[in-house]
Amino acid sequence: MGQRKKVGAVKTSSSENDTGEASKVSPKHNICMVSDFFYPNMGGVESHIYQLSQCLIEKGHKVVIATHAYGRRKGVRYLTNGLKVYYLPLQVMYNQSTATTCFHSLPLLRCVFVRERITVVHAHSSFSAMAHDALFHAKTMGLNTVFTDHSLFGFADVSSVLTNKLLTVSLCDTNHIVCVSYTSKENTVLRAALNPEIVSVIPNAVDPTDFTPDPSQRPTDRITIVVISRLVYRKGIDLLGGIIPELCLKHPDLHFLIGGEGPKRIVLEEVREKYQLHDRVRLLGALEHKDVRGVLVQGHIFLNTSLTEAFCMAIVEGASCGLQVVSTRVGGIPEVLPEDLITLCEPTVSSLCKGLEKVIAKQRSGSFPSPNSTHARVKNLYTWRNVAERTEKVYDRVAGEEVLPLEKRLWRLRSHCGPVAGSIFAFVAVLDFLFLLLLQWLVPDRHMDFAVDATGPNGLWVKKRQKSEPGC
Amino acid sequence: MEDESFCNISGKPISLDCQSHSSFCREFTVSTPKISIGKVMVYTCSVWLFAYTVFFFTQNTAVLSSAILITLVGMMLHIHFVKVDHESLLVIGSLGIQVSSSYASGREVTTFIEMSKIKDIVINEAVYLHQIIYYLCVLLRDPSEPHGVSSVVTLFQSSKPRLNCLVKIYKSCQEILSTCK
Repeated sequence: MGQRKKVGAVKTSSSENDTGEASKVSPKHNICMVSDFFYPNMGGVESHIYQLSQCLIEKGHKVVIATHAYGRRKGVRYLTNGLKVYYLPLQVMYNQSTATTCFHSLPLLRCVFVRERITVVHAHSSFSAMAHDALFHAKTMGLNTVFTDHSLFGFADVSSVLTNKLLTVSLCDTNHIVCVSYTSKENTVLRAALNPEIVSVIPNAVDPTDFTPDPSQRPTDRITIVVISRLVYRKGIDLLGGIIPELCLKHPDLHFLIGGEGPKRIVLEEVREKYQLHDRVRLLGALEHKDVRGVLVQGHIFLNTSLTEAFCMAIVEGASCGLQVVSTRVGGIPEVLPEDLITLCEPTVSSLCKGLEKVIAKQRSGSFPSPNSTHARVKNLYTWRNVAERTEKVYDRVAGEEVLPLEKRLWRLRSHCGPVAGSIFAFVAVLDFLFLLLLQWLVPDRHMDFAVDATGPNGLWVKKRQKSEPGC
Repeated sequence: MEDESFCNISGKPISLDCQSHSSFCREFTVSTPKISIGKVMVYTCSVWLFAYTVFFFTQNTAVLSSAILITLVGMMLHIHFVKVDHESLLVIGSLGIQVSSSYASGREVTTFIEMSKIKDIVINEAVYLHQIIYYLCVLLRDPSEPHGVSSVVTLFQSSKPRLNCLVKIYKSCQEILSTCK
């Protein structure tokens, strides 16, 4: 707890030195984003963390990212604009997620939190064990915590029952939780038995300049349906396998363009083989993010067949490129786009076919607005600046809250998580606290060097940029 | 010539001695404290007490004599290979850098890096055991690629001074390096 007071003192003294008025209006935070998933691994969570961090740096906050080592990429790295990334050597268990023992990550994470003078710890993704660990340690160290949930879960099968219990334990004393859609909020509140007031909804965003329409790329003699998703069960690839032959039979000028890789690729290949559709169904394999736009602009209709989705980035990207979107009505998808830009269907082959036929008929008659006007509408719906602004508000609110002291935390754990799990984790929390005391005795905070700030109010990187800007 | 005291990363006091031989030749010496007699006593006593307990149960005198041997050999190996008394860095503009570390037994290991091979001297961060620390290192130029770095030579590897000490050494090294480029 002494740690926290010291951090506070450092912060106030640094903000006093600041002469800018803006910094007095909203305090600047030292934020540490923790997740198992970060670049070079590719995916939605990774780009979310990166883009959000960049926008927060632009707003003058100090941001560092902690993740686990990827192969030979370990240690400390700097990305664009002085975004500092710690690749900590923690053992990877399964699917790029680290093993959790609750304790082994404490020494390194403590070192990061202390030397970077972190005030807010922001963990991402409920699949990431490191994020849960970081939340647990941050609370032990008396730091404010925020958690962003990126996915939806079920309630019935064994694995989700276990994850839900873990989530309950992990989130019951977290200061604030962020979800990407209202459906996701509902889901998280139910799963983790939370007070809905501490859960905010901040959607994801896309970079609209990356996804601009280009109608000249579209072939005029046929209609192309684009599908871009990982080829896994969750994304409804079996449905896609049912749709393709049915529609191809009815419309001889219909082509499919499928980007992505995964275990369900075999389903699509079988369909292609069985109905002799090699010239009309193209499987592009894994796509890099920069190539996605090039594929999207070749199509007329974007199809999404997900069975579960918290917030579908792909359909926003599709709409931003001026495509007509057809999607299943699952999870948070109905919230994402205005009604006239999307056609929602039930997640069945017949309903999706009906929806697609309607859209194809409309496309033939040419009654759709031009791709450029669609892009203009979607452009301002989801921007990273907006996401960063809203996240900043969450940080401002969280910074004013107190972190539960140990005895209150134990009481909260026992009362929220049931007598058995609650007691076990209360015991683990006590052990974690004792381990922290041991570490503070072995390596006292005063023996750790404070890191040189790259970003934030006293960031060297930012100053360099400001100095060079007037010259440009 | 000046003598300043700093801390290393585990909080032990170390002293930095900067000698300026001329405007383009400087020597930095970081000395770590000598082995304390208390520490030697603690290690020796613990080995001997352990040996005596084993002897008490087995009644085998070979245990006792091997304990004496182990402590003697261990102490010798420690001062000869592990315990570094002081490390020094000699920077001579336009010629190169000499890094030497002398062990408590008097053994000295010296390496010399020519100026043409040196790209720069920088302070870097690394994960070291369960800590993240700053260290000073020399970047070596890749002969095939003019902007690439072929390898890194870590300086003051066993004394591990803290950032304030490293910054001091770094600044005076840069003064010399900037004049000769």
